[in-house]
Amino acid sequence: MSAAAAVAHALEEIAGRGQLQADPAALAAVAVDGVVPRWLVRPGTVEQVAQVLVLASAEGLAVTPRGSGSSLALGNPPRRLDLVLDLGRLTAVLDYVPDDMVASVQCGITLDAMAARLGQHGQRLPLDPAPGGGRSVGGVLATAAAGPLRFRYGTGRDLLLGGRLVQADGVVTWGGARVVKSVTGYDVPKLMVGSLGTLGVLAEATLRLHPIPPAWGARLWTFDTVAGAAAYVAAIIDSTLQPERLVLLGAGALNAMRDALRDSPADLPPDGAAVAVSVASTAEAVRAQTALLERLAVPPGGRGTEMTGGFWSRLGGALEGPVALKLAGEPARLGHWLRQLEHVARDGGVGLIAVGEAGSGVLRAALRAPGGDGLPSGTWLAGAVAGLRAALAPEGGSLVVERAPRAMKETLDVWGPVAPEVLDVMRRLKHEFDPAGILNSGRFAGGL
Amino acid sequence: MTAEPRTPDASFLRELEGIVGRGGVVSSPEGRLTYECDMHTFYKGAPDVVVLPESAAQVAAIVRLCRLHSVAVVPRGSGTGLIGGAMAPVGGVMVSMTRMNRLLEVDLPNRCAVVEPGLINLWLSNATRERGWFFAPDPSSQMVSSIGGNASTNAGGPHCLKYGITVNHVLGLQVVTGAGELIWLGGKVHERPGYDLTGVMVGSEGTLGLLTAVAVRLTHLPEGVKTLLASFAAMEDASEAVSAIIAAGIIPSALEMIDEVMVRAIEEGVGAGYPKDAGAVLLIELDGPLAEIESQSARIEEICWSHAALEVRVAADETERALLWKGRKEAAGAVGRLTPNWLLQDAVVPRSRLPQIMREMSAIGRRHGLVLANVFHAGDGNLHPIICYDEQKPGELERAKQVNEELLHACLALGGTVTGEHGVGLDKAKNLPYQFGEADLNFMARLRRVFDPDGIMNPGKLLPSHPACGEGFRPARPALPQGAWI
Repeated sequence: MSAAAAVAHALEEIAGRGQLQADPAALAAVAVDGVVPRWLVRPGTVEQVAQVLVLASAEGLAVTPRGSGSSLALGNPPRRLDLVLDLGRLTAVLDYVPDDMVASVQCGITLDAMAARLGQHGQRLPLDPAPGGGRSVGGVLATAAAGPLRFRYGTGRDLLLGGRLVQADGVVTWGGARVVKSVTGYDVPKLMVGSLGTLGVLAEATLRLHPIPPAWGARLWTFDTVAGAAAYVAAIIDSTLQPERLVLLGAGALNAMRDALRDSPADLPPDGAAVAVSVASTAEAVRAQTALLERLAVPPGGRGTEMTGGFWSRLGGALEGPVALKLAGEPARLGHWLRQLEHVARDGGVGLIAVGEAGSGVLRAALRAPGGDGLPSGTWLAGAVAGLRAALAPEGGSLVVERAPRAMKETLDVWGPVAPEVLDVMRRLKHEFDPAGILNSGRFAGGL
Repeated sequence: MTAEPRTPDASFLRELEGIVGRGGVVSSPEGRLTYECDMHTFYKGAPDVVVLPESAAQVAAIVRLCRLHSVAVVPRGSGTGLIGGAMAPVGGVMVSMTRMNRLLEVDLPNRCAVVEPGLINLWLSNATRERGWFFAPDPSSQMVSSIGGNASTNAGGPHCLKYGITVNHVLGLQVVTGAGELIWLGGKVHERPGYDLTGVMVGSEGTLGLLTAVAVRLTHLPEGVKTLLASFAAMEDASEAVSAIIAAGIIPSALEMIDEVMVRAIEEGVGAGYPKDAGAVLLIELDGPLAEIESQSARIEEICWSHAALEVRVAADETERALLWKGRKEAAGAVGRLTPNWLLQDAVVPRSRLPQIMREMSAIGRRHGLVLANVFHAGDGNLHPIICYDEQKPGELERAKQVNEELLHACLALGGTVTGEHGVGLDKAKNLPYQFGEADLNFMARLRRVFDPDGIMNPGKLLPSHPACGEGFRPARPALPQGAWI
């Protein structure tokens, strides 16, 4: 038996018959940035995940963990890739006591599946990353993905209480707690959020839940200028309002969302923008907050519009595209950075759909070639990214190219620079926990 | 970890003076004694020398010097911890942050402030409240504890039920790692590529590095606040009411429980107007949009009445609200009227297990013939049983320790945790193996080594593996001082 055949045999022994995929067409479908793995394995238990990694580290196989597969475009092209570790069978809810408002799940479970289960008890995991609820919990945490609900509930960083991770050498480690409050030992779960599985594979997560508020209301306001919209956002933030979501939409995003609005607003001037807000509370408080939102919209010249119920779930979809960026600047400069993105896109004749999350200062943008779904040019993209990063640097901002064809990725650093002294600590961490660099080899920031 | 930390000599002291000036070094025996313990006076260990730096650059120079000479480094904020944290079990250099207490920047459009670690928690809220903002983490010590200390221990407080603990409010940190690097992690911008080193550093109790600046989130003051006091004949009913409130989908900003023993002690002392026959009192605070807190408070009243409340009082104004809180705030002082000595536990249970753990706790106390008093953060299941004993009575201390240990195990058996908000320090390092397996602890030890390759940072704290109780560790009379903040 060849060495490769022996590995395949061992993987199938671990995960069970039918859980190893070596068929070229199937493997091509799970390629990462065009790098086709040699195998795909679908373990059914955490113990099997651990055994797979014991084998991978012994054989020096480079591994990419995979949840729903929606965000594999994030990151540098892999330096090498032998094995895709598909967590799609790990979908169990391990422990859920509604009165504790905490749930422990296996990380392959999707947000939708969790929502269905939690909703029966009037609870939810308030994470709403793009493109939607088909994403796996593990993938959402590993990529630190979040959406507009972060305004009120924070991100995975604030919701992950504990986690079981499988280290590169197959050792299974637990960190954190199963209760809502614990400072026992280091906050290991924080290391799992946003580290793209490069320090370990998150296999189980214990998450803080929130009650679904009894009443809900949402409204969208359009403004002739981005400055007007930004002034409205600032007024809301400096008020006693407690919105659930507060997002700033550029003109392109508003156009993309037009059919999710009840009465179509008048055409926005190209410099126009919109603010979408949702409030969730008791029915009385929703009415009172909506009234205050109306009043605050008057001075900056907002025109209110009703939205359909599907607005928020479709917002993430509007950001899908072959090239996607995430820009983070000072929260108060969200309007400024929206304008900068619009200038850059206009100069390049590129279509832009941009949605800003107020409060966190994160802008998500999809870029398309003019007049369709085509790609902007790679040269233009590299220049635009470099220009924006240079402008963001003084305030410590960042720009991540979250999705782009491989050819374009090779002309730019998708993550952007990490301060050298911080990168040094990151390197030591990576070296400590994955010395051979088999987990998502080279895909993370700084080439880790 | 590497070699045992060494004791600094005269030339080392001169080098320290070169960094912080002669006035920034305390090396006299009486001076050093002031720093021998935090509020958990059970654990005493004076540092060999105390330094009072005034800048991040000085802190970095101190750590580099200590690293060069393999001398232990122990950070200290206000010394209000309850865990044997800001004390030096193996001697070494204590870095006191009291001179680094400036409010560097308030940036309301970005909802944040940047402070030096020694800034007192409450001062930040005082500086921003008139403009409508505050710093949400509110440990009961907030009028004296420092924000650097809060971040180092990831402190909680009554209102973290709604607002989250300190880590949820830290946007960035300037730190000096154990390797001597002076770096900024995170900051005003909420996202940047890379590992969440800020999140790991918060709560690391000075074992990974020293904090030299903290960028914190500010929170807008709510439209309204409503405070209710509900008293019950039986603790059982009060515990069930807590679970029912949470289960009803209401997250109060604070949900505090005071038991019969504490109610009596408080009434004999300050007199907060609690019914003397109450078996338990709940102090419930709601904040947010007025319409929301009105309907939620009506719902909470219903829940309390349906759980056999003796009385439900709603504060009509700020004066009455202050009165309702008075008993809670005076609780620590009232303990002195109960008992000459006490031990304090900080374990957590899943909130649905509150009624069960309260039953188990009283059984444990009865079994050992000791009185337990309770005043704690019921809403998130964070217990603070106060184990009363008299050190003059033979065997009571041992029994108190036994009760403490049994309480911890009872909480862990229900799926709880060793410490909810006070931290690990020297006190609970030995307890971590109750909650974590060998692989888990090994992961943490390796994480520590990444930041502190020579094992000089706050040795003996947070993890059990390090030889904590070495020659320099002198166990002393166990007692918590009057006025410790719970």
